[in-house]
Amino acid sequence: MNEKLKKRGLKLPLLPTTTVGSFPKPPYLLDARRKFRRGFLEDTNQLRKLEEQATREWIALQEEIGLDVLVDGEMYRGDMATYFAQNLEGFKISGLVRSYGNRYYRKPIIVGEVRWRGQITVEWWKFTQGLAKKPVKGMVTGPYTMMDWSFNEHYPSRREACLALAKALHEEVKALAKAGVKIIQIDEPAISARPEELPEFAIEAMRTVTRGVDAYFISHICYGAFEFIYPGMLELPVENFDLEMSNSELDLIELFREHPFSKDLSFGVVDVHSHVVEDAATVKRRIQQALEVLKPEQLWVDPDCGLKTRTREETVNKLKAIVKATQEIRAQLRQRESEGTAK
Amino acid sequence: MELLTANTGSYPRIGNRPEQQRHRQAYAQWERSEISSEEFERVQDEVTREVIEEQVRAGLDMVTDGQVRWYDPISHFTRKLEGCEINGLLRFFDTNSYFRQPVVVNEVRRPEPVIKGEFLFAKKVSSAPVKPVVSGPYTLAKLSINRRGVGLAELVREFAKAIAQEVSELAEAGAELIQIDEPAILKNQNEFGLLKNALEEVAASKGKAKLALYTYFGDAAPLYNKLIKLPVDAVGFDFTYSPGLPKLIARLGCEKELGLGLIDGRNTKLESEREVIEVLKLIAPAIGSKRVYLNPSCGLGEYLPRRVAFEKLKNMVAIAEGARGLI
Repeated sequence: MNEKLKKRGLKLPLLPTTTVGSFPKPPYLLDARRKFRRGFLEDTNQLRKLEEQATREWIALQEEIGLDVLVDGEMYRGDMATYFAQNLEGFKISGLVRSYGNRYYRKPIIVGEVRWRGQITVEWWKFTQGLAKKPVKGMVTGPYTMMDWSFNEHYPSRREACLALAKALHEEVKALAKAGVKIIQIDEPAISARPEELPEFAIEAMRTVTRGVDAYFISHICYGAFEFIYPGMLELPVENFDLEMSNSELDLIELFREHPFSKDLSFGVVDVHSHVVEDAATVKRRIQQALEVLKPEQLWVDPDCGLKTRTREETVNKLKAIVKATQEIRAQLRQRESEGTAK
Repeated sequence: MELLTANTGSYPRIGNRPEQQRHRQAYAQWERSEISSEEFERVQDEVTREVIEEQVRAGLDMVTDGQVRWYDPISHFTRKLEGCEINGLLRFFDTNSYFRQPVVVNEVRRPEPVIKGEFLFAKKVSSAPVKPVVSGPYTLAKLSINRRGVGLAELVREFAKAIAQEVSELAEAGAELIQIDEPAILKNQNEFGLLKNALEEVAASKGKAKLALYTYFGDAAPLYNKLIKLPVDAVGFDFTYSPGLPKLIARLGCEKELGLGLIDGRNTKLESEREVIEVLKLIAPAIGSKRVYLNPSCGLGEYLPRRVAFEKLKNMVAIAEGARGLI
């Protein structure tokens, strides 16, 4: 296991299990959020109470299922970029923009200097960690994704917008570490959007975010196209990459054979876009494939991405499959080790 | 030289005002089978009329039908072609919108027109000339999953045949300028030969219409010299990815009509008149043709809120008016 974790007094088992960030919101919270948006619910305290209730439920569930590193489930967030945009200086939120079919979203607009005006996620982290025995990750949307998913009316280039965001988010990351967060995840789902920008400024931006902060950093990347940013992405200054593997038919394993993966890897073993719940045998097979190219000490196990679009039941069953499969693999590894020692 | 303003493709189908939500509401009702396909079609007709009227009100010389009926530029074509099935969602280039990916399982054939009906409707209701936009054969083939057991070249040939038929019928239906979109070539420049062959096939069927080839979402500068030699009448470029393109055009010139995508179709920031006019002044002396178009870098429908799309087009028209005496 990574030295940086040990040094911080975090004892995790081999193959730590975790999740990527979001969980489905319970119906009572969806209903309250809808009413709030339409102006029928004016009391923000009331909404906050329901968000806390839902968070409490998800923390209890994660501990019951037996995950090793927990998340708050993002009950208080709508969109991962818009949430941070609403809490940073320099942003407005646009009118509706089409995504596909009949789906629309509101996109952040950078209209001025982007600045951190105070803690965004720290209170939520404290609240959640207070409920949990296991460590809870801090979760921040990364500067490249914030830039790529926003309109830019202020900065002369994508690079400048991205680096300004990196400076602001660095403050949030510092505040999280100061509050005691030991594992911080920087979500960068968009980072493969324009591969040429990775060496031009995306790596520099991540360096700005993490510089001098005493924490174990994970970066979550999805939406494929890894072949265009690998192995260059290994230059990103984080300890762990969280990648979707089951949805990409695991062709990354081949990539890792050609160029060894040098960091820790949170390996997505269940598909978050499918209603079908993987059985433990399927998950085990995927973990074993990963172990062909990675040392057990490098590997974490989790779903491909956030689970907010699945039902509660699908989510729980997918997570149970992950924990069960991981426990079985751990037992196998222990047995192999003791056989090795016996010889 | 004549400077005309045009739209490049799609236009937002809904806006923030309650009466601009009709399309979204009808779509949801149609998905829940609360209204019939015919009723949904009527709403799409009305919204098409509305977005054409909005483009005319912005002052455009040439409009599109806004592609209000399109799910996306790729599956809208393949769903009417034989030999193609439709798969799950995939990110459309480096944007935040998605398209349904086609799977080619059999020989591609076009048993019926794809957008001819849409074009005729738009032409009937529009007071400005309407430009039909057709997704190009290379891009259609490149973005499809190929389960045919034949190479990409054969797939492009089959799509080219289908698109050539479409272009021929659009020309007969009265289209004066037909836009062919080939964004995929910018990231696959080594396959230029496939694009060239395909466009030769399409160009042979254009009848009295003019053909405009548009690329976007990438830097076209490395291909510029080849693109302007293709058998089309106009070539359109996305300048937002190509800082070096204005100087290149000034240096190498162009004998064809040019579509100048100097208006960023993916950012809410309004362009400065001075900056756009500077570029126009730089390249105007090198252009040998009689006409250029000022247009957004790409369609607006998936990238801008409705109100901003209208402001963008109005601003573009104002810039063109300011430029007319100067170039």
